[in-house]
Amino acid sequence: MSRIPFSPITINWTLTFRCNFNCRHCYSRPEKAQELPTEQVKEIMAKVARYKVPFINYGGGEPLLRGDLFDLTGYATGLGFNVSMNTNGFLMTEDKAALARESGFRTVGISIDSTKAEVHDDFRNTKGSHKKAVSAAKFLKEQGVRLTISSVICRINHMEFEDLVRQARDMGAEQISLHNYKCAGMGFANKDELDLTPAEWKEFYLKAIALREKVTDIRISMDDPITATIHKAPEQAIVKGSTCGKLSLNIRANGDVTPCGFIPVVIGNLLKDDLKDLWDNSNILEKMRNKKPKEKCLTCKHYEDCLGGCTARAYATTGDFNSPDPHCWMAK
Amino acid sequence: MRNIRRNPDIIWREEEEARDEVLRAMARGDDASGDGTVLLVESGMMHQLNLLGGEIWKLLDGIDEERLVDTLAMIFDVDRDTLSRDVRDFLVDIDKRGWLVHE
Ligand code: SF4
Ligand code: SF4
Repeated sequence: MSRIPFSPITINWTLTFRCNFNCRHCYSRPEKAQELPTEQVKEIMAKVARYKVPFINYGGGEPLLRGDLFDLTGYATGLGFNVSMNTNGFLMTEDKAALARESGFRTVGISIDSTKAEVHDDFRNTKGSHKKAVSAAKFLKEQGVRLTISSVICRINHMEFEDLVRQARDMGAEQISLHNYKCAGMGFANKDELDLTPAEWKEFYLKAIALREKVTDIRISMDDPITATIHKAPEQAIVKGSTCGKLSLNIRANGDVTPCGFIPVVIGNLLKDDLKDLWDNSNILEKMRNKKPKEKCLTCKHYEDCLGGCTARAYATTGDFNSPDPHCWMAK
Repeated sequence: MRNIRRNPDIIWREEEEARDEVLRAMARGDDASGDGTVLLVESGMMHQLNLLGGEIWKLLDGIDEERLVDTLAMIFDVDRDTLSRDVRDFLVDIDKRGWLVHE
């Protein structure tokens, strides 16, 4: 690997922890934090822009619940950021889709976890949510906003991911992200019911990687370091292992900074701290960038590429960044 | 001769600290020609360019190939034929990837 970039490439930003949904896998439902007013969010955006961070992605909570979402986005794009968001789509209207275009969203991602409306609605605990997500995608496409689809892979859909890819392509999405299940927040509480076994993860990734190589009319993205065991990282991979704390950081609704949305360890707050100072000097980031093999990773031939897999999952289940990823299917 | 520009869909950033380090390594006589000095993101994939690639990339603001080589000749201490060939190879490669716009 070459060196860590001089500042993050992507800031994942939770503008609000509020949500109109109550999904069974959500990492952020148990999170609470004071939400910053518009001017303070802008103040942080201006500070981050000094370090030429190219991408901001709003995660959730549900970004459309913030009344100032398009004002903030217009401000951010004016500072040079490429802005995207993940939304459940429920509150998207034709007017809001037009505002998404006008404020300069580079892409908008809609979450859809099943091609079957009743399965999606049940998983997301909201009746009618599949239908609304499909209309949200249509409104955005009509406005010429670039569309992506996000699906959290888990027990309800791991056997039908090919249908999810087809559905996303038919909706006109340019990318589908097949997110690995995170044992954080509600995801941790519901992991026995929803998470796959390591053998099932292996089977899923083997099939999904084969499909990704075949499909040309939509990009399939799977950002999971554990896949280093079945294929070499592409030549252009800038860093190995988890990318959090190496290419990206997470900002919470109150300005707190964590290495990633799934690692609830606060390394500073951007109302008072300097982004570059945190990026260069945080002990936590230093530990995540220089993991030490432990247990079965000690003798694993994939360690150099995998670096123990997903740091968030390891930390959520054992409290130690260096533990082997619980999704890892390699024998002990 | 046609002018060449970067494809505006590609998001990129110069890695100033990495570039300084490469220049220091070169001044010491170490080989740092493979280290990235420019990061770019295209269709969700991240790539890095080495010093020569990065310097070419930064100059692709609507410039023709000859002027490009002239400018690079002021930075890189190599004979003109080698430089022209390296520039050509790089441009052909990134053109194939769809990273250029010809005016
Ligand atoms: S630790 Fe895991 S969840 Fe967090 S960004 Fe890295 S890969 Fe993703
Ligand atoms: S044993 Fe460790 S290094 Fe090897 S694949 Fe599993 S998590 Fe990755």
